[in-house]
Amino acid sequence: MDGNEDSGIFFEEDDHRAAYIFNADQPLSTQKQTPRPAKRRKVAKADAPRPHQDSSVELAFPPLFNGAEGSDAVRLRKQLYETAWPVLEDRIQHVLREANSNTLDEVTSFLQHAAEAETGKITAGFIITGPSIASQHLLFEQLGERLRTATRARFVRLRASEAPNLKAALKKIIQDATASGTDGEEVGDVEISHGGRKYLDYDLEALHVFLQQQQQQSPRVVVAFQDSEAFEGGLLTDLIALFHSWRDRIPFDLLFGIATSVELFQARLLKSTARQLYGAQFDVVQADSVLESVIKTAVAGSQAALRIGPSLLQSWVDRHRDQVAGIQVFISSLKYVYMCHFYADPLSVLLAGDGRLDRKLMQPEHIEAVRTLDSFKAQVEAAVEARQLNHAQSLLEDDDYLVAQILEQGQKRNEYLLRLLRSLHLVAATGLSSTSFTDLYILALSSGIDIDQSSGTVPLEDAVKRLRAEEFLSLINRLLMAVQTGSSDLGLDGWEPDAEELVGSLTDLRDEVDGLRERSKSNGTVLKSKYSAQSRVLRTTVVAQKVQLSQDTAIMTDEDKAFTKAVDALLDLLSENLNCGPIDNLFLHEAWVFDSKSPYRDVFVPCPDATFGRALSRPHDYLACACCAKANGGLASTLPTTAILYHLYLEAGALINVADLWSAYYALVGEESEPGLDERSALVCFYRGLAELRMMGFVKQSRKKADHVAKLKWLF
Amino acid sequence: MRNSLFHLPDELILATLSQTFPCREAQIRALATLLYPGAAPCRNLVIHGTEATGKSAITAALLARLADRTEDEGFILSHAIVNSAECITARHLYETVVSKVANALSWDGAPSRCETVSQLTVELVKLLKYTPRPAGFHFVLVFDGIDRQRDAPHTLVPALARLSEIISSLTTVFIVTSPPPRFLLTSSVPHLHFPTYTKTDFVSIVSASPPPALPNTSPQETADLWTRFTAAVHDALARAASRTLPSFHHACTALWPRFTAPVHAGTHSPREFSKLLIAARVHFQNERLLDPGVLTSTATATGSGAGTALATLLPTTPRLLLLASYLASHNATKHDITLFSTHYHGRRRRRGGGPSVGGRPRSKHRKIARKLLGSHAFVLERMLAIFAAVRGEWEAGNTRDHGDNKEEGHADIGMAIATLASLRLLVRVGGGATGDLMDCGGKWRVNVGWEVIRGLGRGIGVEVEDWLIE
Ligand SMILES: Nc1ncnc2c1ncn2[C@@H]1O[C@H](COP(=O)(O)OP(=O)(O)O)[C@@H](O)[C@H]1O
Ligand SMILES: [Mg+2]
Repeated sequence: MDGNEDSGIFFEEDDHRAAYIFNADQPLSTQKQTPRPAKRRKVAKADAPRPHQDSSVELAFPPLFNGAEGSDAVRLRKQLYETAWPVLEDRIQHVLREANSNTLDEVTSFLQHAAEAETGKITAGFIITGPSIASQHLLFEQLGERLRTATRARFVRLRASEAPNLKAALKKIIQDATASGTDGEEVGDVEISHGGRKYLDYDLEALHVFLQQQQQQSPRVVVAFQDSEAFEGGLLTDLIALFHSWRDRIPFDLLFGIATSVELFQARLLKSTARQLYGAQFDVVQADSVLESVIKTAVAGSQAALRIGPSLLQSWVDRHRDQVAGIQVFISSLKYVYMCHFYADPLSVLLAGDGRLDRKLMQPEHIEAVRTLDSFKAQVEAAVEARQLNHAQSLLEDDDYLVAQILEQGQKRNEYLLRLLRSLHLVAATGLSSTSFTDLYILALSSGIDIDQSSGTVPLEDAVKRLRAEEFLSLINRLLMAVQTGSSDLGLDGWEPDAEELVGSLTDLRDEVDGLRERSKSNGTVLKSKYSAQSRVLRTTVVAQKVQLSQDTAIMTDEDKAFTKAVDALLDLLSENLNCGPIDNLFLHEAWVFDSKSPYRDVFVPCPDATFGRALSRPHDYLACACCAKANGGLASTLPTTAILYHLYLEAGALINVADLWSAYYALVGEESEPGLDERSALVCFYRGLAELRMMGFVKQSRKKADHVAKLKWLF
Repeated sequence: MRNSLFHLPDELILATLSQTFPCREAQIRALATLLYPGAAPCRNLVIHGTEATGKSAITAALLARLADRTEDEGFILSHAIVNSAECITARHLYETVVSKVANALSWDGAPSRCETVSQLTVELVKLLKYTPRPAGFHFVLVFDGIDRQRDAPHTLVPALARLSEIISSLTTVFIVTSPPPRFLLTSSVPHLHFPTYTKTDFVSIVSASPPPALPNTSPQETADLWTRFTAAVHDALARAASRTLPSFHHACTALWPRFTAPVHAGTHSPREFSKLLIAARVHFQNERLLDPGVLTSTATATGSGAGTALATLLPTTPRLLLLASYLASHNATKHDITLFSTHYHGRRRRRGGGPSVGGRPRSKHRKIARKLLGSHAFVLERMLAIFAAVRGEWEAGNTRDHGDNKEEGHADIGMAIATLASLRLLVRVGGGATGDLMDCGGKWRVNVGWEVIRGLGRGIGVEVEDWLIE
C-alpha cells in the first residue's frame, strides 16, 4: 500500500479540526520524531489486513465510527453517493439549459434577421442576465454552440478579464474567430498570411483576409461581451468604433450580457458610439423561476435520493432571494450537502435500496447509532404510549428485531415520498392555492399537507366550496389529468392504476354534476350549492328587487341539493388524497433527510470578521490553555500578545498613538507584573503583535499623524 | 496630350462628383487642383473640418475617379488611404501604409516588418523611388484622421510630412478635424477647409435623395414634400441639437413615416403641408429622435426606468448596500450621528432638509443640492456601518426575520460588494484601486445617479430623500 502515499487524497486527522494549534516553540527535532510518512504508514497498516479491498474506495471515504466501520459499508456509502449525485447533476444541467432555450431562439432569429437588414449600424443584442455572473457563463456557452451551428457564424466570447485593453481584445477576437473552425479542419492557431505578409496579431485585416479565403459566403462574426459591465467604458467605445469602421468588410454583430439595465449600459458609452449600435433587448428567464424548476427537479423530484430538510431549504431560498448567490451557488450547496451526508454520516447506508443493505452490513455501531436518534426515541415513546410494550422493548433490546425494522423503513420511505409528491402535484393541479411550489414543498415537509380550512397547512376548503358548477367540472378534469399524466419535472409517473378508487369517484362526481347542470339548465335555473348561494345573493342585491332576494336564498332546488352533496363528496375525497404528514414523523428520517445548517453555513457563508474577533477576544476558547481560563473574554496579561493588543485596540479611538499603546501593553506584561517580561522581549512581542494586527487589516499606518496608526475596523 | 502646363481634370468627373456631393463644389475643385498631377500637385495637403462634412467621402471618391481616368491623359495616378481609426498602434499604422501602398502598386515582394517612421521611409522609398516608374507617375497617400491616431509619437505627423520631400512623386494628404498651428512643422502647406453645412446645404443635400413615392402621389410631389419636410425638421431639431449630417438624415428618415401617415391613410393630400405638420407636431417634440438610444424603438415599449429594472434584478442585500453607499457618498460624515444613530433621539427623528431651516434666513450662497453633484468617496467601514444602521429600520416592515444573517462582515456581504463593484455600480477610487477588494482602508464611490437610486429606494418603500442632509 505504499503507492497510496503519493496519491495525494490522504486526509490527516487535523484536517477536520476547527482550529489547529501551531506550536512554534516546539523544537524542530521533536516534530521530526513523528514525521508524517510514519503516521501514514500506520493508517495504511491498519487497513492492510482487510482482504481484497478496492484501494481507491478506501482512500476516498475514510471509515467512520472511529475507523470501526466495515469496508463494505464504506464502499456502499461511496457507491450511493456516486449513483445519487451524477444523476441529479445531469437533470439540473438539463433544466438550466432548457431555461435558456427561449432566449437562444430569440437571439438567433434576431441575428439572422439582422444579417438581412441594411442599416449602416451594428446589430447588437442586449441580453439581460441579472446580477449572477456565474449563470452568464452557461448562457454564452450555449449561445456559442447554437450560433455556430444555426447561422454558421464565427462566434467569439470575450470576458473582461481576458481583454484588459484594446490590443488584447482584438488579439482574442482574431484568434477565436479564425481558429474555431466549424469543420474541425483548422486546429489551433492558423497562421494567416497573404502574399507573404504577416499580420500583427491585433490587425483586423488578418481576419478580413481569413474570411475572404473561406469558401463560405461572408460568414458573420459575432462578438459576445459576456460581462459587459466589467469592461472599461473606453475600451467598449473603442471596440465599437472599430467594428463600425470595419463593418463594410467584416460583418460584425455584437452581443452584450448585461447584469443591470440597458440604460445604465448605454450611459457608459459615448453618445456617438451608442448611435452606431442598434438592437434589441432580451430577458433571460427570471432567476426565481429557474430556481423553482431546479428545486422541482433536484430537490423535490423523485430522483433526489437525499431529502433536504425544510429549514435548510428555506435558508437556501432566502439566501437566493437576498444575496447575489445565484443558481450556481444553490447547486453547489446541494452537492456539498450530498457530499457531507454520504461522507460523514455512517447511517447514510440506510438509504441503499434493492437488497444492497442487509443484516451483514449492519454492525453493532450502526445499531447503536440508530438508538441515539431522535426519531428512534419518538418511535419508542409512541409504542409505549400505544401500549405496545413488547414492540418498544424489542426495539430497545433486540438487535435483530431492530434491524428487521430498519430494513422495512426503505419501503416506508418510498411510500411516504410518493404520497408527498402526489399530494403536492394534486394541490398544484387544483390551481386553487396561490403559494409557489417551493413554499408549498417546504411547508409540506415541515408541517405536512392538510386542506382543512381552520387547522390545515394548505387551506383549500373554502375555495372548493365556493366553486360554481363549471369550475367544479374543470377542477375534476384537471385532477384526473394530473393523476393520468403525473409530472415530468417531479419525475412522477401517472398513477391511474394505483388510484382506481379516486379516479372512479371523481369520474362519478363529474358525470353526476354534468347531469345536474343539464337538468337545471333545462329548468331555467342556475346550478348552485349551499355554499355558493350566499355569495350569489351578494351579487344580485345590486340589481334585483329585495323580495326576490330572500326567496333566492331560501329555495334550493333538488339539483342544488345534489350539487351541494357532490361538493361535500369532493371535499372528502380531496382531504383524503391531498394529505401527508411532516417528514420528521418518520422513523429513521435522519438517515435520508439532511436538515442541519452548520457545515453548510461555515463553508458557504463564513464570517471571517466575527471569527477573528472571537479568536482575538477569547483566545482561550480555541487554545484551551490553563493560564487564561479565568480571563473569560476580558483582558489578562497571560493572553497572547496580539489578543492583548486587540483588547487595547477596542478601547482606543480612531487614531492610536503607538507609544501609548506600548506603555499600556508594557504596564500589563512588564517586569512588575505576572509574566514579568523584560523590556527587550516585551518589545519584540509588541512589534510582532502589532504587525499581526496590521496583517489582519485592523490597523494601518496613519498619514495624518506621525507615530500613530489608524483604526480600520470599528464594526464588530 | 500634355499640351499645356496647367490643366484641370476632365470636367465630367468634377461635375458628377459635385452632383453626388451637393454644396461641396468649391472644395472638390480645389482638391482636384491640388491633387491632379496635371494641375498644381502639392507635396503636402491638410484637409480640415468638423465631423461629417464629407472630407473622407469626397477625398476617396475623387481619388478613385481620378485614378480611373488619368491614364488617357498621360498620367498614372495611384493612391492609398489609411484610416487611423483602424490602426491600433503607430506600428500598425506603418505596416498598414506599406501594405496598402504595395497593394496599390500590385507589388508582390514580401514586405518586411516596419517598426519606426524611418523604417517606413525606407520601405516607401524602396517602393516608390528606387523602383523605376513610367513618366507621369504620381502617388497620393492619404492619412485619414491622423490626429486621432492612438499611441502616436509626437513627431509622427512632421515625420510623415517629410516623406514627400524625399520621394518626389508623392503627395501626402492629412485629413484632420482642426490642425494646430505649425501642424507639420514645415512652411507653406496648403490647407483646405471643409466648412460645416448651413441649413440650405443640409436641406439640399438631404433632398437630393428623396424617399420612394407615396401612394397616389407622383415622385415629383413626394420630392417637393420631402424638401419642405426636411427644412421643417431642420428648424425643429437640427439647429438646436443634431448638427451633423448623418444625425440630421437619421432624424428625417425616422420622422418621415409618422409625418406621412395621414397621406398613407388618405386623410390628407401631400400638398397640405401645414396640416400635415400640425398633425405630426408631437413627433417633432419627441426627444428620442435626437438620441435614439441603442434599442430599436419597438423593443423599448416597456418603458421601465433604469431604477425599477435594477430593483427587480438586484437581490435585497446588494440593493440595500447600494442605497447605503449612496447615502455614504452624498452625506457629509459630520451628519452621520444625526441621521443614523437612534441613540439620542429615540426612534423617530426629523430628517431631510437639515435641522429646521424654517426660521433662519437663507444664506446668500445657495448651495447646489448635493444629490446633483458628483458622489464623494467614502471608506468602506463607514458604508457598512450605515448599512447596519439603516437595514434594521428599512426592513422593519419586512416580516421575514433574518436570524443568523444579521452578522456583519460575513461572506455574503463581501460577495454583494464584489458584485456591485464588478457591475460598476460601486467603484474603488484612489491608488488602492487595484489592491485587495475587501481591504477596509480603501475608498469607494457610488456610480449611479439620483434617479436610479430614488427608484431603487421606492422599490422597497424607502424615500431616500429623507435620508439626505444638505
Ligand atoms: N455634401 C454631401 N452630400 C452628400 N453626402 C454627404 C455630403 N457630405 C457628407 N456626406 C455624407 O456624410 C457622411 C459622413 O461623411 P464623411 O466623409 O465621413 O465625413 P468626415 O470625414 O468629414 O467626418 C458620409 O456618409 C457622406 O457620404
Ligand atoms: Mg472622416
